[in-house]
This record gives sequence, C-alpha cells and structure tokens, in this order.
Amino acid sequence: MSYQDYLDREKLILTVATTGGIHGKDANPNLPEQPEEIARQVAACEDLGAAIVHVHGRDEHGENDPTRLQAVNDAIREQCEDIVIQNTTGGQSPYENRVQGIRTEPYPEMASLDMGPFNRGEHIITEHTRHNIKRLAREMHEKGIKPELEVFNNGHLNEVHRLIEEDILDPPYYINIIFGSGTFSMPTPRNVINMIDNLPEESIFNLLATGPNQLPLTTLGMIMGGHVRVGMEDNLYYRQGEQAESNAQLVERTVAIANWLGRDLATPAEAREMLDI
Amino acid sequence: MTCPFLEYRHADDEYEFDHERPYCAVQEEFVSPMKADICNDRFDFEHETDCEIYKAHVAEEEPELAAQDDD
Repeated sequence: MSYQDYLDREKLILTVATTGGIHGKDANPNLPEQPEEIARQVAACEDLGAAIVHVHGRDEHGENDPTRLQAVNDAIREQCEDIVIQNTTGGQSPYENRVQGIRTEPYPEMASLDMGPFNRGEHIITEHTRHNIKRLAREMHEKGIKPELEVFNNGHLNEVHRLIEEDILDPPYYINIIFGSGTFSMPTPRNVINMIDNLPEESIFNLLATGPNQLPLTTLGMIMGGHVRVGMEDNLYYRQGEQAESNAQLVERTVAIANWLGRDLATPAEAREMLDI
Repeated sequence: MTCPFLEYRHADDEYEFDHERPYCAVQEEFVSPMKADICNDRFDFEHETDCEIYKAHVAEEEPELAAQDDD
C-alpha cells in the first residue's frame, strides 16, 4: 500500500479499540469496562462508521479477564448491527488465557496476533514465543479467523516475513503497525514511512499510535493509503489536558479527517471483502 | 499471597466507582489492571520481587525485612 492508494481513494477501514488491557477507569472514568457499557460505546462507533471493534474482557474490578470476552462478544452482537468482532489474544497472561480470544462461540471473525513480546513496567514481559504465535496462527487458520498481525516494533516485521515464508498465513496479510513508547516503534513520520516500505507483498496495513501520537500518525496512515485504529485503549485524551469523553468522540474526529481527505469509510461488509474474511 | 498493601475500594479522594477496584495503600492510588496482576501474584508474578513500589517501601520502612530478602 502506498500514497497511490490514497490518490486512488481506497476505502478506509476504521477500527475502534474501546477498552484494552492497560488502562482502567481510574485513568479515565469514561473508559468502558463492563460488557454492556462496552457494547453501547461500540454501537455508537459503528453508527459513526467503525467497521471493526478490537475487544478485551475485564472482570467486575476492571481487571483483565479473557473469560469475559464471551459476555462482551454477546453484548456487542446484541447492540450492534454488523461490526466485525476482533478479539484480543494478547496481554501478559499465559497462553491458556490468551487463547480464549479464539474460543468464544461463535468464533470471532478476527483476532489479534502479537508478533513478539514487549515490555510493560519494570518487570512485565509478554509471553509471546514463536512457538505460541504459531499455535495461535494455526488455530485461527483452522477456524477461519482472520489474524491482525500486531507489529509492535520493527523486528516484529521480520517475524511476519518469517511466518509468510513458513506458509502459516493466508493473504492478504493484515498488518497493524504500532507506534508509541517503550518497546513499540518510535513514533515518528519517518519511521511510519520506513515501516510501510518494508511491508511484505500482498499486505494491507493498519496504523495504531498511542497517546498524543494517535491523531497525527493515524492521519499520516490515511494519507499513505492505509487503514487506522483509534479509541481509548490507545489514547485516553481528546487533546492535551482534556480527557476523551467517549470512544465515539475519537472515532468522530477520525471520520471527519477521513472525509476531508476523501477517504470513504468501508462498511463492515466491505471490510470483510477487502480482508478476505 | 497477595500484596499486603493491596486493597479493593469503591472510591478515593478523586473518583468514585460502581465496583471495587484494586488500590495500592503505599502509593495511595488505584492500580492499573495490568499492575494488579503483580499485586495479586497472578501467573508467574510475585509482588515481593516484581513490584518496584513494594520493594522501595519495604527498603525504606522495614529495612530489616528487606535485608533478609537480600540474603
């Protein structure tokens, strides 16, 4: 994908990540944690044009709990029209927990697939060995679940190439390039462009950037012909010093930018077709 | 064993919630969902070795205990 795709007015797939596993209501009380409130916010985002929702589960204390993915999936299906559900298989818990993201019923149409480990805090490192990544990829393949390949840093792109060479993935490869602090790729426009230049053939990219990088780098992603993810998992603020009121507020701004740039939004059905789901 | 400084509270001076949330009595603030795994010694985490806040607090307030840990 490239700037030419932008000029060709490739439709934009907008993903919303409402909740995540990092922040809680103590960081922003508007962040939804429980199934019904997540589903309400997802429905509002779908109305605005989001085609995919990235889903995490939380327990009654707001702590990470993959067994709650089923309840969140059920609530989204009840309150939303057609949005594509993408469950997480990431996080810092063991494989047995993370695989719950592809064992909900019915299976989600998509799931995240982290391409390698990353650090959190002083002592946390996520348990994403190549062995576990392949196990997840194979189970997704068996179940017809489209993986979103999470490239947290430049080295993880090597891992994507490796999986393609090992014939574990089916094209088009949907690659989420991630920019932020810590072990994420450094959030600069030059790094975005370099990452895009190194994508494999037959790939489609989505761009995710954290905190204050969300607005400028997702805009750059749209200009470079890619797709974007926004939401409170990645960014708790609407602007500096002003907390986001909702996920819909962040989605609405991205939709407005897409309109100004001439990128029409893909419906969930169109996103399925583009990603071969 | 969970961290002795972990509490579950509905509110602090700033926020009030519908459900109890993990709260660190050392920092006097709510704990992020990610950090709560360490407080609760979930998975392979242990607050005594993996929580920098616990370690610093023990070193400052209970140096004898911290010295034993170094043995």
